[in-house]
Amino acid sequence: MLERCIGERRLRQIQRGVQNMKLTFLCLLLTLLVLRGTIGAGKYGTPQQDFIELRQRFISHPHRALAEQNQPEPKPKKSDKDDEPPLRSLNDPYSLGPKISDWDSQRADWIRRHPERPNFLTKTKPRVLLVTGSSPKPCENPVGDHYLLKSIKNKIDYCRVHNIEIFYNMALLDAEMAGFWAKLPLIRALLLAHPEVEFLWWMDSDAMFTDMAFELPWERYAPYNLVMHGWDEMVYKDKNWIGLNTGSFLLRNCQWSLDLLDAWAPMGPKGPVRTEAGKILTKTLKDRPVFEADDQSAMVYLLVTQKEKWANKVYLESAYYLHGYWGILVDRYEEMIENYHPGLGDHRWPLVTHFVGCKPCGKFGDYPVERCLKQMDRAFNFGDNQILQMYGFTHKSLASRRVRRVRNETSNPLEVKDELGLLHPDFKAVQHHAS
Amino acid sequence: MGHEGVGFKSGSTRSGLPTTRSRVPRGRQIQKTFNNVKITVLCGFVTLLVLRGTIGVGNLTGSTLESEDQRVVEDIDRILREIRTDSEPEPQDPLSSLYFANSTAHNWTYAEAVEAVNYSLGPKISDWDQQRQVWLSQNPNFPNRLLGKHRILLVTGSPPNPCDNAIGDHYLLKSTKNKIDYCRLHGIEIVYNMAHLDKELAGYWAKLPLIRKLMLSHPEIEWIWWMDSDAFFTDMAFELPLEKYKNHNLIIHGYPDLLFEQHSWIALNTGSFLFRNCQWSLDLLDAWAPMGPKGIVRELAGKILTANLKGRPAFEADDQSALIYLLTSQQDKWMSKVYVENSYYLHGFWAGLVDKYEEMIEQNHPGLGDERWPFVTHFVGCKPCGSYGDYPVERCLSSMERAFNFGDNQVLRLYGFAHKGLVSPKIKRVRDQTSDPLQVKEKLDMAARITM
Repeated sequence: MLERCIGERRLRQIQRGVQNMKLTFLCLLLTLLVLRGTIGAGKYGTPQQDFIELRQRFISHPHRALAEQNQPEPKPKKSDKDDEPPLRSLNDPYSLGPKISDWDSQRADWIRRHPERPNFLTKTKPRVLLVTGSSPKPCENPVGDHYLLKSIKNKIDYCRVHNIEIFYNMALLDAEMAGFWAKLPLIRALLLAHPEVEFLWWMDSDAMFTDMAFELPWERYAPYNLVMHGWDEMVYKDKNWIGLNTGSFLLRNCQWSLDLLDAWAPMGPKGPVRTEAGKILTKTLKDRPVFEADDQSAMVYLLVTQKEKWANKVYLESAYYLHGYWGILVDRYEEMIENYHPGLGDHRWPLVTHFVGCKPCGKFGDYPVERCLKQMDRAFNFGDNQILQMYGFTHKSLASRRVRRVRNETSNPLEVKDELGLLHPDFKAVQHHAS
Repeated sequence: MGHEGVGFKSGSTRSGLPTTRSRVPRGRQIQKTFNNVKITVLCGFVTLLVLRGTIGVGNLTGSTLESEDQRVVEDIDRILREIRTDSEPEPQDPLSSLYFANSTAHNWTYAEAVEAVNYSLGPKISDWDQQRQVWLSQNPNFPNRLLGKHRILLVTGSPPNPCDNAIGDHYLLKSTKNKIDYCRLHGIEIVYNMAHLDKELAGYWAKLPLIRKLMLSHPEIEWIWWMDSDAFFTDMAFELPLEKYKNHNLIIHGYPDLLFEQHSWIALNTGSFLFRNCQWSLDLLDAWAPMGPKGIVRELAGKILTANLKGRPAFEADDQSALIYLLTSQQDKWMSKVYVENSYYLHGFWAGLVDKYEEMIEQNHPGLGDERWPFVTHFVGCKPCGSYGDYPVERCLSSMERAFNFGDNQVLRLYGFAHKGLVSPKIKRVRDQTSDPLQVKEKLDMAARITM
């Protein structure tokens, strides 16, 4: 019937036209698919996104950390909101606590009244409190807590051998000074509560002791109140933001230190204060990236801008690794074992290996996870070997958790001395005086 | 036009109209089929390419941020698996061959197995007291007393690998902080062990070679205090009454009636006990160790213990049951120097204590150490590090958090803070700052009542 309306020729033309259209349409569809697969179509989704969605729906995520990443941020509970302090405005000055001006005499009186807790253990060795800490909440990374545990064991070992007390902090004393600034209110509280402590040694939780035999040169620091690893030229001349490191430093318990803390704190309060301060720091300091104010940059800024006031009591130590950046140390451990020995503390056998940027407790740090965790194991074992040798053991290798015996048991254990002399070292000896 | 129409018409009669199919030349048909096949093959090829490009595993030239993260996630999974497992093979248990080789031919008895294994903690020492005395007199810089108090070394530990359950490591960390706090306040040194010193005495028996090794390496230490990793200090003010123990060498929490009359397998608790550094202790360790070696000895010993101790389930020999059996079967030899302490909770079983903390805060004060304010809360059976314990996980974890915070409050008090509640990690200020902090410090009493 159609034939008669249009005519055979016409009909065939139409048929051919329709077939061509079909082919064109099919090809267009294919092209779109391929393009979507390779270049992606943004909010309309890519096949990879489809795959991820499918996977998520059907397979449960084994890890807390990564599941959180794919879920939207949970709405903050009302109770959390109440705890958050209102953000401090720029013209509202922050204070760590009521001003104290006579701390040196208060402290001297107390020490005089309590001779059983002297601030010096021997003529030269001060009473030291090592302070470190971590969050009271479980780590987001499933093995983060395990590395924190190994790190504190490492510190317990060094401090037992060197007669140093430890304070492990898990409390946020001031919500305004959260993050890297949390150490300031903590340090002040500890200095004031422990007048018997002569030096407070702050150490980050991602720093490990790798030289168990190295005793700090306390006599060198007698004229100083703040000892940090760093270089004078990099701080005072270059104004470089990594000219010093606040991951491991010594602070004397005295009025000067309280004043320093008060001068250091203003850039810390969360919110517009910290953000604005960050801009000033990036502008003033060399190579500093753009981010909110951190305690280390603020310290450099303080020393540079108020040099006359503080610099004469600050010692920037570079003769040994009071802080040792892990990147240049961890691959050389075997070389060190072959060529050197513990007790040097410097590039030959670092006192501290500091895993800056690794963040084992958080989700992802600045470095690949594998390198960080494996190297932390090596650093831990490197230090642990020096402790185990006291008892006649050593790790099978720097990567192995297992230990093997290197010294046989004997029926005269007291005649055997450990190679490094760490069982009864001089720096642990008690002042021999009539008690 | 007319010509065309004619021409067309004549052509059409020759072309492939359906009605005249038989008249279509073969060639044309084959060509058509060939064209179809070409198109089909081409389409199939393109489909395969597209599928490979989208769902296929591997390189995507235009990978998005999500796929990058996906790869990192897979990497982390792999790394965590590697860290958790030990890539080295388990060392061959030298005794298993002994067992399996002869098990069909010979029924081993416990005595035979012990003799065959011939385990020893180390070369026999018989004059340790004298050796120690000589050393102490030669080393006045390492006395066994500090400020009049005997030196104590607290020993604890955990396995070197990450916990099967990630939250387990978090509570090991909190438990360690808790021990650091108590020991700092009381002048006690800590050894945290993560090494398997003796592969035969693995598991709960690992403390025996460790205690012996530490005793012999540290003659200046008078008391070695073993404490399990799942035990928390909940009374920061309590001081061990060491004068009570001047004639004893082993201080252990337990109940004499359960021990001597009932021979109960929980009459004593080896989760928290003190050993004096002396010859007697070395001898006791030597007498205690034989039931420990892994394998056939431990299994057969377990059967003896289950048969002789009340309430003991059937499983391999554990150090606690073995000690109870040893002390009850050789009472005359050992018991005169063992102090079975229950006037305070040197070990306090958690289930009966954790719910009463608020009541204790209201009615009592630190420093008592007993049921009014327990010295140690010990989470027996919880096993947060392993895959399963004897109690529901949630109850264990929230109770451990409460015990930790209960103890932590007594430490934070020195700095003017307290936890917001026993379950909360958040803290609040309970004492205002002052410009005269040492006046406050002078008045601070560790044993004063806690206000929350």
